[in-house]
Formats: sequence, C-alpha cells, structure tokens
Amino acid sequence: MASDSKDPLLQLSAALASATASAQSLIVAIRAPRSPPLSGTLWRNNLVVASEQVFPRADAAEIVQTDGAAIRARVAGRDPGTNIVALQLESPIEFDRPEPADPALGALVLTFAADARGAPLVRLGIVRSLGPAWHSRGGGRIDRRITLDLHLSGGEEGGPVVDAAGALLGMSTAGPRGRALVIPASTVDRILPPLIQTGRVARGWLGAALYPVALSDAVSQQIGQDRGLMVLRVAEGGPAAVAGVIAGDILVAIGGTVVGRPSQIARSFGPESIGQQLELSLLRAGTRLTLNATIAARPSR
Amino acid sequence: MSAVGEPARERPALRVALVAGDPIRHQGLMAIIRGGGHAVVEHHGEADVVLVDGESIDQYGAPAVTLGRADCGQAGVLPSDATAVQIDAALLAAAAGLIVRVPSLPSPSFEALDDSEAPLLTPRETEVLAAIADGLSNKAAARRLGISQHTVKFHVESLFRKLGAVTRADAVRKGLRQRLFEI
Repeated sequence: MASDSKDPLLQLSAALASATASAQSLIVAIRAPRSPPLSGTLWRNNLVVASEQVFPRADAAEIVQTDGAAIRARVAGRDPGTNIVALQLESPIEFDRPEPADPALGALVLTFAADARGAPLVRLGIVRSLGPAWHSRGGGRIDRRITLDLHLSGGEEGGPVVDAAGALLGMSTAGPRGRALVIPASTVDRILPPLIQTGRVARGWLGAALYPVALSDAVSQQIGQDRGLMVLRVAEGGPAAVAGVIAGDILVAIGGTVVGRPSQIARSFGPESIGQQLELSLLRAGTRLTLNATIAARPSR
Repeated sequence: MSAVGEPARERPALRVALVAGDPIRHQGLMAIIRGGGHAVVEHHGEADVVLVDGESIDQYGAPAVTLGRADCGQAGVLPSDATAVQIDAALLAAAAGLIVRVPSLPSPSFEALDDSEAPLLTPRETEVLAAIADGLSNKAAARRLGISQHTVKFHVESLFRKLGAVTRADAVRKGLRQRLFEI
C-alpha cells in the first residue's frame, strides 16, 4: 500500500501518519472547572504538562486519554514565566516517551491537541524561526526560541510537538496573534522539579514597573548610553521602594552592567538572584545616583 | 416620562472593592478607580461593585468586573489591558445592573519581553503617556506634571507620531502596555 510506494508524496504522508501514531500516547484532553476543554502532554507516567496561560484557577482536573479513559489529577504547580502547569495523576499511565530532539530550521513538525473526548487533533507545519534563549514577560527563561508557521486556536495549546522522526521537541504554546511557539523539552525538564516541589518557580523581584526610554543627547554623551529604563511605579514595601527608588527615576545600570533593554535586566533576576545585593545606577532629575537593593522573591499572584 | 427641565444627572461615585494580587497592578488600578471619582473600600460586602484583576475565584456580594480572563459568570469581562475609560465605564455599568463585554476578548498570548527597535519615547513623553493611560485629559495631565497644556499637546503629538497611534487608546496600547514590564 502507501507505505511501500515509491511516490514521494505517499511516502511523506505515511511518515507523518507514523509520527502521529508514535505521539498518540502523549496526547491528553483536560477537563477543568469553568474552562473550555484544554489539551495537555503526558510528560511522565504520573505527570501531565499543559499551558498555564489558559488554565483556570483550579486545584484539580480530569485527564482524558485518547481512548476516552479519564483519570483525576491534582494541580501540582504552575509557572506563568514559562507557561507551564503541572498536573499530578492519581494513577500512573503507561506510555513510551519519545526521545527529545533539537529542532532544525525549516524541518516539518506536527503539533497535537485533543478535543473534549480525548480524540487527537493534528496540525502540520515547519519550524519557522529558531533563536537563542529568551525571557518571557513573566520573567521566565526559555532555553530556545522556536516558532512554527502555524496558528493555534483556543484549547489547542499545551499538547506535544514532535518532528518528522517522532522525536519530542516540546510543548506547544500560543504566542502573539495565536502563532505557535514551542516551550522546549529541556525547559520543561528544568522547570518541573522545583515546580512540583514547591508549586511555583521562585524568581527575583525588584518591585518596579519599568519602561524603556530614549535619553537626551546631552545625557547620552555624558554617560555613554542612549537608552535607559524609566521607573513608572514602585510596589509599596518592595525592594526598589526600600532602596529609595521613586517613580520618575531612570535606571541605567545594575551591578555595573548597562541596562537599556528589558531583556538585559531580566537576566539578573533568575531564581538564583533572590537575596542578592544589587547596585542600581539611576538618573534622578539629571544627576547620577547609586542605590543598593536586596532582591526579594517575586510574590505569587 | 419627561426629562425636560430635570437637572443634569450627576455621575455616581461608587464604592469599589479591588482584588489584585500583583502589587504594581494593584496600585495602577487603585489610581484608575480614584481617578473616576470613586472610593476604594476594603470589604466586598460594603461595595457597589468589585474590580478583579485576573481570575475571580468566587462570587462576590456585589457585581464584579474581571480583567484578563473570560469568566462568563461575572457582570463585566474586560481584557487585562483595558483602558482607564473602559474600566470606569464598566464599573458604572455593572453597578447599574448591566452586563459588559468587549466585542472579542483577545486570546491569551505568551510573549517575550519587548526588545523592539521601534522609536523610544523620551522620559517626558513617557510621563504624558502614563497620564493618558490613567484617563487624564491634556489639562489634567498638565496639572499633574506641572507643565503647560501647550507643552502637553506638543508631547502628545510627538508620541503619537513615534508610535503611529491614531487615538489615545491606541497610543496606550501600542506605546505603554506592550513596552511596560514589571520586575
């Protein structure tokens, strides 16, 4: 039949169907209170991961496998920074987890979701762009920037993404305008242990809302940089407020490193930063000022 | 029924309870509520309306307006980047027993910190934009910043040009909400 045909189109089709079959046991549907049906990925035999940004505030959910069998699960932890919610199953599910793999630019990929009854939904795309590690608005570090030439509609994110060989690239996530991103398998593996242990991933917190601004020519010549981060608000009692930072200050360097871009500052506020002293260089009413802040843990929402 | 000859109806000042876990969002929303002439009260029980940032967990004693989550159970459902004018209108409407929805709630989107190369605003333009985001008129913004209305207008024109914005709401969305981040 098709599989031994020499027609390349039939061969491609057979290869995609076979990659789909091998991913099938990873796909689950999630029924959570006050939420439309969601998709998830079976990550360990007792653990499902799904997209945090669409997951309702709930302590428990029901996991539905592709054969329709349902298992209760407890919400073990959620991390908006990497868009991962971890669900601990009441009884384990036997499955073969595919080998993880690194994506190749332009390679074919399959993304999976599930409908409310657990039936798999499949999309085909290619790796549209690949980039280095990046920081989300929630402050999480994602090991690699992977975007796909696919759009995910509601409930489709959170499922597995595999390559043509059936190897696991990661979990799908809806980015700007519904465009599919992949949270790499390595990021999920890194985040899960602290997430399961404490229910969240602690990150550093300054307690300030910052906004990138252009510095005037005179100021940029004087301090050697043309942008800074203006403080628009400080959280009452937060590390910035305690250090003496006020709204209107312009942050130009932290710990001696220039910060003109949001991503430059995000690097200094990972989980390991909590408790550290940080030297803040600021401009206030045109004069340079140095304050010392002690990084706290970001409060949970 | 005739409204002829009736004195102009005053805008009601509401008692609003605020539920917002994030301290910075809390302060911003507090400013928007007070900017609308309303009072912030501690307990849901004594409120005319409850403003909830993010997902609401329970039913409150008063109608609630939620920001950022599609929760059909609540009177008001707005996106998390709703403008000050929208939030104020929704609070008034919900307190009056109406249901408030936006035409289409943007679907959640997982985004990177914005490092875009788009033209940056100056510190002064940023302050003017922040005043617009709080729902202030040019006149009120001038008073807040201690500069003339004419200067405010000049900055507004300049920041509209840099952001490619056509309305104040557009400027706030393109200029402020996308670039502002909390750390």
